[in-house]
This record gives sequence, C-alpha cells and structure tokens, in this order.
Amino acid sequence: MNFLEWLQATALAVSVGETWFPWVEAAHVVFLAAVAGTIFMVDARLMGFASRNLRVSYLAQHMLPWTWVAFSGAVITGTLMFMANAASYATKAPFLIKMGLLLGAGLNMLYFHLVTYRGVAGWDVGKPPGAARTAGAISMLCWIGVIAFGRWIGFV
Amino acid sequence: MGLQQFSDWLASTAFSQAIQLTQWAIPAIQTVHILALALLFTAALIVALRFSGRGLAVESLHMLARRFIRVIWIALVVLAGSGILLIVAEPHRTISNPVFYTKMVLLAIATLTTLWLSAVARHQHERVSGLHRAGAALTMLLWIGIMFAGRFIAYYDAY
Repeated sequence: MNFLEWLQATALAVSVGETWFPWVEAAHVVFLAAVAGTIFMVDARLMGFASRNLRVSYLAQHMLPWTWVAFSGAVITGTLMFMANAASYATKAPFLIKMGLLLGAGLNMLYFHLVTYRGVAGWDVGKPPGAARTAGAISMLCWIGVIAFGRWIGFV
Repeated sequence: MGLQQFSDWLASTAFSQAIQLTQWAIPAIQTVHILALALLFTAALIVALRFSGRGLAVESLHMLARRFIRVIWIALVVLAGSGILLIVAEPHRTISNPVFYTKMVLLAIATLTTLWLSAVARHQHERVSGLHRAGAALTMLLWIGIMFAGRFIAYYDAY
C-alpha cells in the first residue's frame, strides 16, 4: 500500500469523505475567495488599474495579512479534500496543473518580494515600473488559472 | 405550468442544450462566478473593516464605501449573469431546490444591508455607531452563508 492509499484510509480522510466533504468544500470556496480577491486588489494596484490614490506598500500591508490567513484556511481545507480521495486526485491533470500554477504564483511572489519590491520607495506613489506591472499580471493570470483548474477538478 | 414542467421546458431549449453539450461550458461559467464572488467578498471585507475602524483609512469612509460598494454591484451583475446561465444549463439542479431559494433569500437580505451601509457611509461620514458595525459584520456573515448555500446546491438530494 503506498502513501496516498494509506492517507485516504486514515480515519480523518474517511470521515471527510463520508460526512464533511460539502462543508469543507464550501469553506474552501470562502477562503479562496478571500485569497484571490485580496491578491487581485494588490495586483490591480501593481498594474496601475485601481487604487492609484493608495501607496502600494500601504495597500499591501493592509491586504496581505488577510491573504495569508485565508490562504492557511484554503490549504487546510484543500488538504482535507485531497486526503478524502488522494490516490485519484494525484492522477488528475487539472489537479496537477493547479498545483503547478500555485507553485508559479509562489515563485512570482518570491521574486517580486525579494527583488522588485525592495525598490518600492521609488514607486510607492504613482505608476509602478515594468517589473512590478509584470509581477501583477503574472500573479493575476496564475490565480485565475488556479481557480479555473480547481473548479475543473470536480468535473473529471 | 409547474416548476417541474418549467425546468423540463428550460432544459429542452436550444440555448440550454448548447451549454449542456459544450463540455467546458459549465466549469468555465462557474469559474467566472467564483472570480466575481472573490472580488465581491474582498470589497465587502474592505468596507466592513473600515466600518469597524480598522483597515484602509487614507480616504474618508464615504469615498472608500463609494469605491468598493461599486465593485460589489458590478460583481453582483456578473454573478447574476453567470448564475442565470448556470440555471438555464441545469434547471433541475436549482429550480426545485430549497437550498437555491435559501441562497436567494440570503442574497436579498445582503443586498438590502449593503444598500443600507452605502446610505450610512454617505450620510453619517465618520460617525458610525455600534449598530452600523454590527450591520457590516452581519453583511459579511450573509456573504459567507450565500457562498455555503451556493456550494450546497450541488449536494441537495431531490429524492
């Protein structure tokens, strides 16, 4: 028996699969709405579309703590759903693509914070530079993809 | 014509058939629905946080509420449009489903409380009371309830 089969045979996974799946899934939707929505607000500011009256750093400081709280909730609920059917999810293309896009969003964020954002003082007000606009666009595309492929998992 | 016959008729229309026969159509419409609700929920969160005295405080409550409540209304239009498409595509899933009507009642209440908060922001400026804060918190709970009800539509067993 491999790890995934063991995982979905645990008491927790069985209880999610038999009873709690709809509740966990609904909570996942609430968390992901907050994750994606708060990230989109920051991305839109980075791309220069919206909230141009706010400093980039100010908006980020107010949105991103909520993003992380909601992301924790989405990871916990997502893991519970995965456990309920681990061996099957692990072979589904939309699931694997979604995980790839999450990784892409994470790497984009990491590069943005470690490199581009260091110079934020220079563009906190007004139009962000090309690197910041690009990071905002990549982030938005990744998260739209995460949601699209995430929804698609339920259809295969 | 009863609800059942109406559902049968709706499902048999050419438009409904076209959506049903396009394999990617329903997940794509649901994705648009989720993207719009992400924007709505975040805009509602920003408004509720401002009412509670936290959150973005650079602009006045009036300006902030006007900006973000507009996002809520635009998102609601997209949600209604995508939601109607989903009903047309799969009428039996919603039209005789009490969970769907629960969601619609919650939606009507959330719309009213949002209209009220919008009016409060316009007239009270910064003088928000405990009642207004409670209203903002209730509105957040309503949106969460609406999302739960939305997901539970899929799990309601008609038999």
